[in-house]
Amino acid sequence: MDSARYRELFLTEARDHLVVINQALIALEHAPAEAATGAGRDSVDAIFRAVHTVKGMSGVMGYAAVGSLSHAMETLLSRVRAGEQALEGEHVTLLFDAADALEHAVEASATAQESALDVTSLVERLQGRERGAGPLARAADASRTLPPGDGIAVHVTLEPGTILPGARAQLVVARARALGAVTTVVPDEASMLGDDFDGCFAMRLVCDADDASVVAALRAAGFVHEARVVRDAPLRERSSSEGAPAERAAVPRSEAEAQFAATWGSEVLKAPLQRYVRIDLRRLDHLMTLVGELMIVRGRLAQRAATHDDPVLDEAVAEASRLIGELQDGVLGGRMVPVWQVFDRFPRVVRDAARALGKDVEFVIEGREIELDRSLLEQVADPLVHLLRNAIDHGIEAPDARLAAGKPAAGRLTLSATRERSAVVIRVRDDGRGVNRAKVLAKAKAMGLVDEERDALEDEEILRVISRAGFSTADRVTELSGRGVGIDAVLSRVRALGGMVDLKSFEGAGTAFSLRLPVTLAVIPALLARVGDESYALPLTHVTETLQLSRGVVRSVRGREVIVIREEVLPLLHLRDVVGLPGQATGRDASASHVVLLELAERRAGLVVDQLLGQEEIVVKPFDAVRGAASCFNGATITGDGSAALILEVSSLL
Amino acid sequence: MSHTVLICDDAIFMRTMLSDILQQAGFDVVGEAETGAQAVDRYRELRPDLVTMDIVMPDMGGIDAVREITRNDPGAKVLMCSAMGQQALVVEAIQAGAKDFVVKPFQPSRVLEAVQRVLG
Repeated sequence: MDSARYRELFLTEARDHLVVINQALIALEHAPAEAATGAGRDSVDAIFRAVHTVKGMSGVMGYAAVGSLSHAMETLLSRVRAGEQALEGEHVTLLFDAADALEHAVEASATAQESALDVTSLVERLQGRERGAGPLARAADASRTLPPGDGIAVHVTLEPGTILPGARAQLVVARARALGAVTTVVPDEASMLGDDFDGCFAMRLVCDADDASVVAALRAAGFVHEARVVRDAPLRERSSSEGAPAERAAVPRSEAEAQFAATWGSEVLKAPLQRYVRIDLRRLDHLMTLVGELMIVRGRLAQRAATHDDPVLDEAVAEASRLIGELQDGVLGGRMVPVWQVFDRFPRVVRDAARALGKDVEFVIEGREIELDRSLLEQVADPLVHLLRNAIDHGIEAPDARLAAGKPAAGRLTLSATRERSAVVIRVRDDGRGVNRAKVLAKAKAMGLVDEERDALEDEEILRVISRAGFSTADRVTELSGRGVGIDAVLSRVRALGGMVDLKSFEGAGTAFSLRLPVTLAVIPALLARVGDESYALPLTHVTETLQLSRGVVRSVRGREVIVIREEVLPLLHLRDVVGLPGQATGRDASASHVVLLELAERRAGLVVDQLLGQEEIVVKPFDAVRGAASCFNGATITGDGSAALILEVSSLL
Repeated sequence: MSHTVLICDDAIFMRTMLSDILQQAGFDVVGEAETGAQAVDRYRELRPDLVTMDIVMPDMGGIDAVREITRNDPGAKVLMCSAMGQQALVVEAIQAGAKDFVVKPFQPSRVLEAVQRVLG
């Protein structure tokens, strides 16, 4: 058995189910009393189904902690479903805790640490609720005497340790029914379903078959240790009153399940039908690579066709080009997933943060269906969590402060996704107090980041200041934020993905962070530049401007070349040196050179190239660097004219 | 000729697992269904020799699906797949016409024994 494959399937599916569980719990939290009706009922059903599936999978994988947690949750929920247990706020809280523990356990399974987890206390709490429920008496199977009647008496003993003996007994009875009429069965069905059913039962069967056939037929039901036919009726079964009924647990599981079955079994459960299939991302990457190759071939074909005066060939090449273009779009589309796949985890994050901080937050998600490259979306999840928590901690005021400021007590936090040309913009917007500009300015001055005489900061500058590692205006450091690492981490991650972050803040009215991201990592806009005979691609997200290299702007500071632009002194690098091409290091024909200004986070530099070739959307082909090769490239691409270009890793230059 | 099987479970995980077990034992897995309603449709269409049926599924549970399938084909051979602690549901499924059951976590040998009992 390929256990890695199952582990991966388990993890992916369990994570999906956890999202469902958390969503439904949030819905329930608002109206726990309605758990038995309408929408509340749907939520309970949804959690039940999800927990149930996770339990089933964990059993196969042998994940004990996941299994016992999900089983305990399932049991509590089944009692709620059966109407035996009213769902109160504390139960929802408990289920939230359990969901957290479950998530933890599921994630631990990925690193094979699941078995080390101890979930007994939570399981006991879940069971404690269960035991605390109303008393449910159960009819005792006091007698297993088969009353006199027609037909033969059949006594059956199941094998010791038979799984679900009650169900197995029913299968035996079903086999008997195939032979003739079964008039009586002792003990009754409810007793067989009890925990203490020992696998001994008897029935009356009216049939024409001979004894041997009856025994053989019943044995075929499986797990039958002994089947005996007695024609002298009635015969007393051995008494089985080892335990007095009163000593039995107040809530036998079977009873709960019987009731649960009555409601569950007959119900048509609604859930949207799956219209998606999971695809291994590597397969899509492979397709993407093949499309890249095709594009090269297309370039060569087009060149060849241009030298032949053949209209039919031209037309065929044009048609192939169009189809290859569409194929590229299609393959790229396959990597796209709607943002809700990540966004839907956030209501839980927001809820928890708001609770921990005593804030009242109304969370709104907009543009759930906007699509983004899957790997990009996953990498942007952490930065978004940072920003959401940040907004709740620093942006949104406490309810009384909001009321005093004439705002509604509940803050509004909006997470939106919009498509803007070739980018997707994800915005985290709150209606809180906004950035305290005076405080940021003072702190920036104290840290020597801005001139003493400045009396105001632009939004862009504020972002630059607050993203300095270690910068925080929060006087207190909470568990959630204020450590001055958040915004810095967000900026680096987003920029590493080829995106940009933008801040808009209005004092007293709120703050908005916008993350502008490329739609996909597989195709990026790039500036193509040439040094000597070689072409290089510079990701456009890191290019701020380009200019002609004129003699006046290059200076030397402590032996290093720098460029002075608008009174800003930036280090100057020569791409020729960076990539290790032969050529003169100094005294170059400056007028023929261009400078590309690069920016990454706080670092800026000028890069000298021989020639600018223009902008192009390039297909990124992952690059396995040869040992010893320059580490300043992170991929390669084939440009429209069919030539190869290496993609510069800007972060390695700055 | 090998026996044909229809696998019904809402978890891909379980379907994959069962499918692997059965295929390795030489069965021909002719179809899969992820809801009870699908199971009924697929059965009608494929007429497999054997059906494995999960109990808890969206859009018609496994028990109703068994009832529906055996109503259309009284000779249908349905093997229920149950989790521990679902005994009452299994009993209901048996009363609805299921021929046997296996309990998760699946042990390949247990599954195949149950299949043999069902196919008789």
